[in-house]
Amino acid sequence: MEAPSHLWFGYVRRSPLILFVLVYTIISGGPFLWVVSMSLRTTPEIFASPYTLPTRLHWEKFAEAWTRSNYSTYFWNSTIVVVTAVVLLTVIGAMVAHCLARYRFRGSRLVRFVILTGLILPPQLLILSLFQILLEFDLYNTLTGLILVYVSGHLAVTVYILEGFFAQIPQDLFDAARMDGYSDFEIFRKITLPIGTPALFTTVTLNFIILWNEFLYAVVLLTEDDKRTLPLGIMHFMGSHQLDVGMLATGLMIAIAPIIFLYALFSETMIKGMTAGAVR
Amino acid sequence: MGEVALNRLSKRYPGSSDFAVKEVSLTVADGEFMVLLGPSGCGKSSVLRMIAGLEPITGGTIAIDGKVINGVAARDRDIAMVFQSYALYPHMDVFDNLAFGLRRRDVPRPEIERRVRNVAAKLGLTPFLKRKPHALSGGQRQRVALGRAIVRDPKVFLFDEPLSNLDAGLRVTTRNELIRQQHEIGTTTIYVTHDQVEAMTMGDRICIMDKGEVMQIGPPLSVYRDPANTFVARFLGSPPMNLVPAVVETNAAPRLRIGGIVLPAANWPADRLHACGGKGLFGIRPEDIYEASPRPGDDRVRPVPATVIAVEPLGAETLLLLSIEGTAEEVTARSGRETRLRPGERTTVMLDTAAAHLFDAATTRAIERTTP
Repeated sequence: MEAPSHLWFGYVRRSPLILFVLVYTIISGGPFLWVVSMSLRTTPEIFASPYTLPTRLHWEKFAEAWTRSNYSTYFWNSTIVVVTAVVLLTVIGAMVAHCLARYRFRGSRLVRFVILTGLILPPQLLILSLFQILLEFDLYNTLTGLILVYVSGHLAVTVYILEGFFAQIPQDLFDAARMDGYSDFEIFRKITLPIGTPALFTTVTLNFIILWNEFLYAVVLLTEDDKRTLPLGIMHFMGSHQLDVGMLATGLMIAIAPIIFLYALFSETMIKGMTAGAVR
Repeated sequence: MGEVALNRLSKRYPGSSDFAVKEVSLTVADGEFMVLLGPSGCGKSSVLRMIAGLEPITGGTIAIDGKVINGVAARDRDIAMVFQSYALYPHMDVFDNLAFGLRRRDVPRPEIERRVRNVAAKLGLTPFLKRKPHALSGGQRQRVALGRAIVRDPKVFLFDEPLSNLDAGLRVTTRNELIRQQHEIGTTTIYVTHDQVEAMTMGDRICIMDKGEVMQIGPPLSVYRDPANTFVARFLGSPPMNLVPAVVETNAAPRLRIGGIVLPAANWPADRLHACGGKGLFGIRPEDIYEASPRPGDDRVRPVPATVIAVEPLGAETLLLLSIEGTAEEVTARSGRETRLRPGERTTVMLDTAAAHLFDAATTRAIERTTP
């Protein structure tokens, strides 16, 4: 008789926590499941009854969304821009973070300060000047221009995350590698990068998600239809007179898919990277 | 070959006005095991890191086999170092940890394989070659760190407190293992520690440092027996040597007056006694104070009245804290476990003045004894 009452007490004691997690899950997962359900229903079906589950799964909507409105071009543009930007961010960010974490050179604190001030500048503040600069360099309305803007905009946070992690790698490892005969760059490649893998995954995932969804810069800096990225493409389903909710949901699902895939792949490593050092 | 010579080596860290290492001169012979011993912050690790090439040199020179290596990069010095934290690469298994240095030196693959397996066999690491460092015990990690140094077959080994992360039992076995390996390989070794037991048992010679300066260099026992100054006298030995202020009287027969006691000062040359201007520090190790004379009839063993302040039975021996009559100083005596003395008791202890030391109170330097 003793044990069950204890068990019962345990549930009661934890019930606020369980309730919180339940509400949180519904709030964050609900809209997602709703979009999934809508993406497989036609617009008339949705208007007839917005919240019911699909009676028939309209998979053909995905093919239609992909072919009907230039979606393949948007997807391809997004892939080029985001993958290139993330690769550049990771390579440059890791090098900068390694130098800031490892070397004390004249002006190192100033360099860190200048880079990290990028963290506090709101993007809206920079958009006009960026527009002007890209125009002058003939990079306005080009994917290259957008890539450069993305890299410069996200370098600060990338360096910030990576430096925090790299600084925790014991100095002795670097000294040992130096005694073992390795040059500074080889040490970066063979010690910092492999040990810093969790942090690198974190920044890759984080940057990918943020840039894949980026709208503000893309809408200002790209005007031609065949240069647009996915977030702009989704706008197409929102006409000025009518709203094709069903196709919008299908388009959203196509846009979300790579992120879900990436997150499923790296979420564990990413969380490890974000919490590293917290419990050491 | 691997003779290491430091000549007036100095180090000042940026932003600091004090020298961390002050004009250290020291020669380690080929194949010798030299221990750098001192309290934390005495500069011994800085010396080691300068020899390794990890720290720029502020002044002076370091030479290996007569060739000055001040400007030579760490990787070209042919020196291997074992770190206090072991510094094993966490993302590589034991084999790769051992092979990492050889790969950079373009040693052919079969030769790397052979050397790594040899060293692993020698250190009992063969079953762990495929394991990552986090899956090893402290002792095994320590052996990998040692193996990484041995496998390179360098001119000089540097050790930076390699045993301080091990528990007491493992420390003793690893210490003996290290001594055995070094004797077998015969490579010049410089070993930094703050543990005097390690220094006494491992070194061919020890170099005692304090505040960036060399205090004394010599074989462990002779440094223990003839400390050059009060720092060395107090630093070596546990419990440390007793130092009691003494008035040096050089009128007729030289005498030392400690409180109410008068001891003969025939051990020391009269001119040196004269030079210390009447103020000395009388030093005697706890093991040279007895409850009963070890050599009855020898008048160099002097009775001294004392009061027992505290008794500390350690099992194998008992430490007595004594107050010598007529002085404010307390002295420690090492006695047998069978002692019957109790705190508060008045007694007479025997001081073996033949084993006593005398230091100049002003310079803290030892006054050398006349050789009998």
